[in-house]
Amino acid sequence: MVDVSNHTLVPDHNLLEEGELEEVLEEYNIQKTDLPKIKRTDPALTKEAEVGDVVKIVRDSRTTDEAVVYRLVVE
Amino acid sequence: MSQQAPQEIGQLSFGLMDPEEYREMSATKIITADTYDDDGFPIDMGLMDPRLGVIDPGLECKTCGKHSGSCNGHFGHIELAAPVIHVGFAKLIRRLLRGTCRECAKLCLTEDEKREFIDNLDRTRALGQDLNDVTKSAIRQARKKDRCPHCSEPQYDIQHEKPTTYYEVQQVLSSEYSDMIAEAMEPGEDSERVTPTELAEETGIDAGRIQEILSGEFRPREEDRKAIESALDVDLTEEDMNKLMPSDIRDWFEAIPDEDIEVLGINSDRSRPEWMILTVLPVPPVTARPSITLDNGQRSEDDLTHKLVDIIRINQRFMENREAGAPQLIIEDLWELLQYHVTTFMDNEISGTPPARHRSGRPLKTLSQRLKGKEGRFRGSLSGKRVNFSARTVISPDPTLSLNEVGVPDRVAKEMTQTMNVNERNLDEARRYVSNGPEAHPGANYVRRADGRRLKVTEKNCEELAEKVEPGWEVSRHLIDGDIVIFNRQPSLHRMSIMAHEVVVMPYKTFRLNTVVCPPYNADFDGDEMNMHALQNEEARAEARVLMRVQEQMLSPRFGENILGAIQDHVTATYLLTNENPHFNETQALDLLRATSIDELPDADGTEDGAEYWTGRTVFSELLPEDLNLEFMSSAGDNVLIENGELVEGTIDEDAVGAFGGEVVDTIAKQYSRTRGRIFINEVSSVAVRTIMHFGFSISIDDESIPPAAQAQVDEAIEEANERVEELIDTYEAGELESLPGRTIDETLEMKIMQTLGQARDSAGDIAEDSFDDDNPAVVMAESGARGSMLNLTQMAGCVGQQAVRGERINRGYENRTLSHFEENDLSADAHGFVEHSYREGLNPKEFFFHAMGGREGLVDTAVRTSKSGYLQRRLINALSELETQYDGTVRDTSDTVVQFEFGEDGTSPVEVSSSEDEAAVDVEEIADRVMESEFADENEKDEFLGETREPTNLSEHADDWWLAQSDD
Repeated sequence: MVDVSNHTLVPDHNLLEEGELEEVLEEYNIQKTDLPKIKRTDPALTKEAEVGDVVKIVRDSRTTDEAVVYRLVVE
Repeated sequence: MSQQAPQEIGQLSFGLMDPEEYREMSATKIITADTYDDDGFPIDMGLMDPRLGVIDPGLECKTCGKHSGSCNGHFGHIELAAPVIHVGFAKLIRRLLRGTCRECAKLCLTEDEKREFIDNLDRTRALGQDLNDVTKSAIRQARKKDRCPHCSEPQYDIQHEKPTTYYEVQQVLSSEYSDMIAEAMEPGEDSERVTPTELAEETGIDAGRIQEILSGEFRPREEDRKAIESALDVDLTEEDMNKLMPSDIRDWFEAIPDEDIEVLGINSDRSRPEWMILTVLPVPPVTARPSITLDNGQRSEDDLTHKLVDIIRINQRFMENREAGAPQLIIEDLWELLQYHVTTFMDNEISGTPPARHRSGRPLKTLSQRLKGKEGRFRGSLSGKRVNFSARTVISPDPTLSLNEVGVPDRVAKEMTQTMNVNERNLDEARRYVSNGPEAHPGANYVRRADGRRLKVTEKNCEELAEKVEPGWEVSRHLIDGDIVIFNRQPSLHRMSIMAHEVVVMPYKTFRLNTVVCPPYNADFDGDEMNMHALQNEEARAEARVLMRVQEQMLSPRFGENILGAIQDHVTATYLLTNENPHFNETQALDLLRATSIDELPDADGTEDGAEYWTGRTVFSELLPEDLNLEFMSSAGDNVLIENGELVEGTIDEDAVGAFGGEVVDTIAKQYSRTRGRIFINEVSSVAVRTIMHFGFSISIDDESIPPAAQAQVDEAIEEANERVEELIDTYEAGELESLPGRTIDETLEMKIMQTLGQARDSAGDIAEDSFDDDNPAVVMAESGARGSMLNLTQMAGCVGQQAVRGERINRGYENRTLSHFEENDLSADAHGFVEHSYREGLNPKEFFFHAMGGREGLVDTAVRTSKSGYLQRRLINALSELETQYDGTVRDTSDTVVQFEFGEDGTSPVEVSSSEDEAAVDVEEIADRVMESEFADENEKDEFLGETREPTNLSEHADDWWLAQSDD
């Protein structure tokens, strides 16, 4: 099987630690459920990701170098 | 004016409505189907009861005492003789019937399962996802149970016959059970005959009873039946459809416990499932179904009233029949009829039910039809409505207007007004408008006195009224030059479809616009109409001027470049002006620059025959900002170099000044300002108009004709191609053609023929092209990018080429041939739509027909595409309409769910960012330099800020303390 997370076009998906998550929620003044969602079965996710976790996705951007997105893992 | 103070809506709650609530809010019970008595007065407790509100002016509402206009009307109610099903809930009713026990009415799920589904519901609700997915799976799981987990009652399948009938499907003993048993006892292929005694032994039933069963005298009980079934391996049951009456369903639903309906996502505080079965029908107020008096004095009732009359009539008949003790069959018929009328009262477009019709045969427009669809209440009356202060007429071009302006016909200007708040400073002005009256142009139509009374200005009272005008009044004056209005052309596909323009009042009947605003509106002048809206308050006018004015919309957010710019003739003209850099004498040069702000010529470029001359590029350079520097490739293929506002070399064409990303326009709009950009476009178009008039520009059929020698060459090229095609066909028929990888032989042949003919057309085009001069108008237009392409020219002068339908040579028509003029299975070029003539030569009949086939496909494609993309656009807009960029830079929807953490993931506007792929999107260095430049008065100050402080050299030692204190900072 091909591991898509190694593909150049797939950005890094990293699980967020508890502390970091709180910072993020604080920054945007939101609940965890207000985040964009990602399916647990998404091939870009690591095996450890569980429902309820939040992943940090860092994409390359032409304008800002890096574009950061947080997503909540759902079923 | 309404007497009521505006009220704030605290909350809305959606749910089912309690029949008690219907009764409580009802102004009256409706018992009679009649509306008016012989004297024309509404009958009490009839459908037009005066307690339901007033529609006739002058009358007083019997419930609230208000008059027509201020009384919103009041609901009444009809007590239904028997419960009926509400069609809108047919699906939910089916689900509840399937998921709950037929005996104890509890949900057929164990406590653990219920808890799991409730948790799942909470989770789904928090994530803002569809609750239906959860409730559906809950029902699915409940339905799987054969027996109720609470009372062990066996459960049967529920069948739903649309729209409102439900059956319980039970397995019962077949009426022919004795014959079936007897047949099963007969010897089969691999079994011996079973005697009744054997059967009795095997099943454990008394032998005498078996005899009784076999003779049909005794119906076996369920356990006996099952025993016989397993012994003989037969199925003795048949399906029995047991119809559930609405009253049965209501009783069933009443017994469903509150905590069970919570599992299905229903809030038990607000809604009870039995309320989906109607026992009381609310009667809408008369204001919702007004009757109209026709010219002949006859009253015509609203469709809803007609429907209600039907309901009341059947309701009464039902009650009478039941009291008279009519047979069950008749009662059931009437019940069904009542159900039909109540159903069609709510929705008259249900599949499977014939729609209720008016006497004329027109289907009635009932409740659901009032709300649904494009002309319904939501899309037709709430999201979109007709507005005042708007005008629509045909548009026509006027190159003398600025692109910010719009020519408004005087008769429109006199109708559309702007409110002037009169004060000491504009008093005289206001009086002048009023004294002009409503007919003379800068006049006024209405005034509002300080006490709030509105007076119409007429020809008769205008002089008199003008003297009375004083500060504190409001004057509704006509539109005048310089007012700002909103202008729009449908379809409004992007934000530049609605822009603000300054008014220029003009004679005649059309809106006039500068041709350079055609691209954003996608307008032309073949009969297009546009809408204008006059703004009615100062905030709107200010916002329109700052945000919506044409010049502010110069750069398109779609591709981040200019969408305004020179088009068509303008592009041709700038090409003529700069391509060969022609010379102009003083008069000519001045004439070109006449309509611009340049009133002095620069130094002459030289002298010729004793007279000074100016080149085209010099003339063009006059329009550029003084310090503009730019270098790029033009579409004509040469390098354009602009140094310090001087066009040094290169041709100015579509890539330089055109709409949709002309480099010069784009650069000026971004580096200088939108205002400078507007001035530039206006002046380029003015100069272009003078230029094209100077040179003259026309095109005719002779401009596409080629010399006989060239024609001979073209013919030869085509002949050669035909021969090559014949050769290909010969090889194919001889079976010697080798197929390309992944294709069949036939496909290979088709591809090769297409390729050969394509080359033939191209070479014909090349030959034709060679015989055209550079000043050929068609070449000039194609080369400059103004209109048309080299391909168009090829088709006009060389050869039209292969016609295609669905991307293949033309293959349809008769059996094995395209037209009856060819032999069957003729594979040659001309039999499959190759047009070897040019448009100028003319097509022969066969070619013409093939050409029409290809052309038709194009037309059909465009028609299909526009309707498809229109619907796609609607769906996209509906999906995105509630997204909003917040002050913290995130994009969120109305429930505050984050969609993007930074607008566009980079927080930049496409308009402010460089759109080219190879350079950085944001040039930070350049921006920093520019900021520094403007922030500091001189180099020293800047250096100081940047930390390159120079040591003071002329300080006395007495100042050391001060110096030390300074450096401590």
